[in-house]
Amino acid sequence: MKRMATFLVNEKHYELAIEPHMLLIEVLRDKLGLTGTKQGCEIGNCGACTVLIDGKPVLSCLTLALTVEGRHITTIEGLSQGTSLHPIQKAFIDHGAIQCGFCTPGMILSAKALLDKNPNPNEKEVKQALSGNLCRCTGYVKIIEAVLAAPEVISKEAKT
Amino acid sequence: MNRLLKRFEYLEPKYIEEALKMISDYGQKGSVLAGGTDLIIAMKKRKVNPQYIINIKSIPDLDYIRYDRENGLGIGAVTTHSAIADSPVIRDKFSLLAAACNKIGTPQVRNMGTIGGNICKAGPSQDTPPALLVLDAKVKLVSFSGNRIVPIDEFFVGPFKTVLQEAELLTEIQIPTPPSQSAGSYKWLTKVVTVDETLVGVAVLLTCDAGSRVCTDIKIGLGSVAPTPIRARKAENVLRGKSYDDRSIQEAAQVAAEETRPRSRADYRRKMTRVLVREAITEAWQSIQ
Amino acid sequence: MSHAYLVVGKRIIQPDAAAKATGTALYASDISIPGMLIGKVLRSPYPHARIKRIDKSKAENLSGVEAVITPEDTAAWQKFDRGLKDLPMIAGGYTVPPDESVLNERARHFGDGIAAVAATDEHIAEEALDLIEVEYELLPFVIDPQEAMRPDAAQISDFAKRNIGKHMSYAFPAGDVQKAFKEAECIVKGAFSTTKQEHCTAETAASVARLDVNNRLTVWSQCQLPHLARREIAHIFNMPVHRVKIITPFIGGSFGQRGSLCAEPICVALALKTGKPVKLVFSREENFIALESRTGFQYTLRMGFQRDGTLTAMEVYMLGRLGGYMGCGPMASAIGMIFGLGHYRCPNRAGEADMVLTNTPMSGAFRGFGNPEIMWGIEQLVDEAAEKLGMDPIKIRLKNIKKAGEIANMGLPLESTYLERCITQGAEAIGWKEKWRKRKEGTIRRGVGMATMTHCSGAAPLYLDHSNAWIKLNEDGSADLVVHPAPVGQHIWGALSQIAAEELGIHAEDVNIVTGDTDVTLFEYGSDASRSTYVIGNATLMAARQAKEQLLERAAEMLGVSAQELEINDRQIFSSIGQKKRISVADVCYDAIYNFKGECLNISGKCSWESKWNSPPTGAFFAEVEVNIETGRVTVLRFVTAMDCGKAINPMAVEGQLEGGIQQGIGYGLTEDYVINKDTGVVETDNYDSYKMPGMMDMPETQIIIIDEPDPKGPFGAKGVGEPGMVGVAPAIANAIYDAIGVRIKDLPMTPEKVLKALESS
Repeated sequence: MKRMATFLVNEKHYELAIEPHMLLIEVLRDKLGLTGTKQGCEIGNCGACTVLIDGKPVLSCLTLALTVEGRHITTIEGLSQGTSLHPIQKAFIDHGAIQCGFCTPGMILSAKALLDKNPNPNEKEVKQALSGNLCRCTGYVKIIEAVLAAPEVISKEAKT
Repeated sequence: MNRLLKRFEYLEPKYIEEALKMISDYGQKGSVLAGGTDLIIAMKKRKVNPQYIINIKSIPDLDYIRYDRENGLGIGAVTTHSAIADSPVIRDKFSLLAAACNKIGTPQVRNMGTIGGNICKAGPSQDTPPALLVLDAKVKLVSFSGNRIVPIDEFFVGPFKTVLQEAELLTEIQIPTPPSQSAGSYKWLTKVVTVDETLVGVAVLLTCDAGSRVCTDIKIGLGSVAPTPIRARKAENVLRGKSYDDRSIQEAAQVAAEETRPRSRADYRRKMTRVLVREAITEAWQSIQ
Repeated sequence: MSHAYLVVGKRIIQPDAAAKATGTALYASDISIPGMLIGKVLRSPYPHARIKRIDKSKAENLSGVEAVITPEDTAAWQKFDRGLKDLPMIAGGYTVPPDESVLNERARHFGDGIAAVAATDEHIAEEALDLIEVEYELLPFVIDPQEAMRPDAAQISDFAKRNIGKHMSYAFPAGDVQKAFKEAECIVKGAFSTTKQEHCTAETAASVARLDVNNRLTVWSQCQLPHLARREIAHIFNMPVHRVKIITPFIGGSFGQRGSLCAEPICVALALKTGKPVKLVFSREENFIALESRTGFQYTLRMGFQRDGTLTAMEVYMLGRLGGYMGCGPMASAIGMIFGLGHYRCPNRAGEADMVLTNTPMSGAFRGFGNPEIMWGIEQLVDEAAEKLGMDPIKIRLKNIKKAGEIANMGLPLESTYLERCITQGAEAIGWKEKWRKRKEGTIRRGVGMATMTHCSGAAPLYLDHSNAWIKLNEDGSADLVVHPAPVGQHIWGALSQIAAEELGIHAEDVNIVTGDTDVTLFEYGSDASRSTYVIGNATLMAARQAKEQLLERAAEMLGVSAQELEINDRQIFSSIGQKKRISVADVCYDAIYNFKGECLNISGKCSWESKWNSPPTGAFFAEVEVNIETGRVTVLRFVTAMDCGKAINPMAVEGQLEGGIQQGIGYGLTEDYVINKDTGVVETDNYDSYKMPGMMDMPETQIIIIDEPDPKGPFGAKGVGEPGMVGVAPAIANAIYDAIGVRIKDLPMTPEKVLKALESS
């Protein structure tokens, strides 16, 4: 039985006809065309499907869409405005932290959640915060470097 | 193999009574949804196929952390692992529980999963049960026919089996304030990689006499080494009344290992129980000094 | 000698990075076309079974289902080898018989595809699968390769007597190994086993296919070898090649798994059946059970040395487990022997391999393609010999590594090698002198270990190393480079833009990569064998050189000087003699296009290049580990990879390849175990809850040393580096464990239980 539900995604409201068994990742990718959120393993182990709900990283492949109606959902698309990139995205690009790019949206969102809470994390804190995001290409090295470098990019942007 | 779920009806009760009615109305056809990290996976794997999902996560009466010295700690069933791990009062006075909750899964899983869901799933390799065992936790189970408080060591009866009745809902976890001069430790080894299911989990709560430095009480909780989480009571008896002494710690560790009944990787689990019990007791002792 | 380059050697950002960082990069699984249906595959739950009866009526009647296909619906199409080797691509006529059908009426492994549906959405497609009723006739099955070769074993293929799919012999045998072993003063030997490591690409297999009204088939394919995929798909579906168009989207990781067709055949079948576009995306479980993972081997290795450490003899017998169909698996043995037996200088060499079919998911190519498998054993035996001879592991290797000019692993001269520097610099970086062979005591013991290797830059002279590049200069002095590597994350677009830009004297960001469409791109073998930078790069370089000649000719006319005295730098063409004569690249290009003197020209260059060269990269790997002798847990504390891959076109990209290789090597060595139930043939490790690859918390401190000396044949001196990064990781760790606790483990992965067991037996 479809029901109407309102979703607040990247600060925009969407009214959609949803069936209860739809997962958040389906709503984002198939209904809203926001394909930046990726499906990697279906069982919440790889973190590719990570989105932020009220600023906290969760797994959209294990979240029923109706359970997050009205909550603030942030996907990777919410970080940039046209060609203007978020500082964390810039840091990832500048540090060569992106290879195949499939894990990247989830990594960046986990990093954002960390930096919003802890603006100057050390390496251990970065690793723990991103420990739920798997990557097979980079060996994680440049990802960690990028997140450690991001605070400086963020403060530079704040000044300009 | 399935990436999606089968159809069901979705219900979002606002109050505990409402939830209870739905649970008793739908019985076996319904499943209670809290964090979803276990249930949704089970549904994708087609291990369970509920026709009704009763989402209790949005019942405000079930999401809280309350503490006072007299009554101890009260945690609402749908409090997330990350809320518990980050709670200042739990980190301060029940650090053992914070450590166990912080070990679960990944940051994302901890933001979603709840302590009530964790306990009710009763998986043998979970992290919170050993900690709850040594903290003498109790769970509050409510139903229309009455409420009951069940000590945690009576709650688990087998792998994925608890005493929770069909029409009951677990609403609260109650933990008394540990005696002063107590220290806890949670040690674990994972199955393969660092962020992974627990292969052997050991929780220890040690209480000693301030003057004589003798152990007045010790509780040892073991996870993932038996069909349910267990207390290693024989090992505890070895140490009660003794002061800090390597030999008796080794003996207690050996006895604890013999109390285990692991199913797979049994030999290794037994050996590791011995190692971790020794480490956990030693660490608890050292925090008291 | 260092050369001052404008763009080569710079840590430039990748042209595709922003799209990936913003989630706007499209992968096959993201593609959506109006009217598109979703496909799903029904897979055999048994390791060996024939379909007795299949009833698709209920599924067909489900509203929203547009097609249900079974093996009999695919009978008109050709059988094939998903590894593309049923059609010629390898020298010497090596082919694999076409043994796989689009859907197989006899399932040869757990997970073999036997039926498929296409429906209007994914929910209906999943529901439809449940409605297909299948009656199976269970057949005897065999899981173990030794058992598979027995005369009474279940026969899996008409092409494989005793289930031996291929017997492979080492391609460059030398000397007389039996005589050499008789005369050897020190012999070391061992039996080693390696695992069926799964690629764990972040994106699962996915494809979209559409037949248009003109009967042209467009396939969005993740295949690393797009033009070869085109040929294969055309062949399977009885179409002429020109009616098939392959589009290569961004690919979420491959590491060799997408060197074969993955989701394409069934996806195309559904598109042809329905007449509508179809998207087929595998679940993670399907990736584990329906695709090729690394070929697992058991092998016995023997090496003979003289007392002074000189290697004189090497011999190997390898038994490889293929799976239900041959696929790319057999080549893993051939390539392993070529790289392993051809790494050190050794006058007497022999090797044989039997590649055996079993009722298990297929085996194929995974980064290194036989090299990590064989170096696992070779590098441990070299250490054993060193110990027997009282030599330092470093010294014994320095004694036997090849020098430039000697014949390298592929039978061609070793164009350049700086392996000695890799070894000495890597040893210093890990602290070898201070840490090796130190007295160990206590519960936690540390040790260091090393390994070396040689790989390849392309597969000449073995494979068809044919690439093309076409470059055109636009009116504003920018360039469009038309090439078709597979963008699997290896930063190849950036590298090719740097090569083109350097040659043309413009900036890397002035070069636009035009790619991914076989209608547009000239023939391209594709991306594998660590060839993209070296071979496609050389084609790019030569195409750019041709364009540069045209550019300078035009500029010479415009400036009234001879072309010989002109140089280009930083978008400016100027005379090396008189500084006053200068003109921008842009002005020359514009004038050539909008030429009112009757001499219009769009400046361009093209190169059709078959690489006759192969400049093997070499590398040394150093691990520092900590072993807990009570728990058997191994922690890799530090890892140093020192690589000679020629001139690094982009050092940041090279580091990325090597750092990724360390993660995969640690998984191979310590954590990844693909488990098949011997009694049921069911894959027990079919997702990340049971199959564990290293996460962030499992990585050591890493250090990458790039020697950065140019190779004479590579573009601006570059050699391949896509695969080498994982080859020496596991044996370096094994050797470090030996240094720490004095026990050797020869079976992958090195689990804590195996460590404890080895300690107990010692």
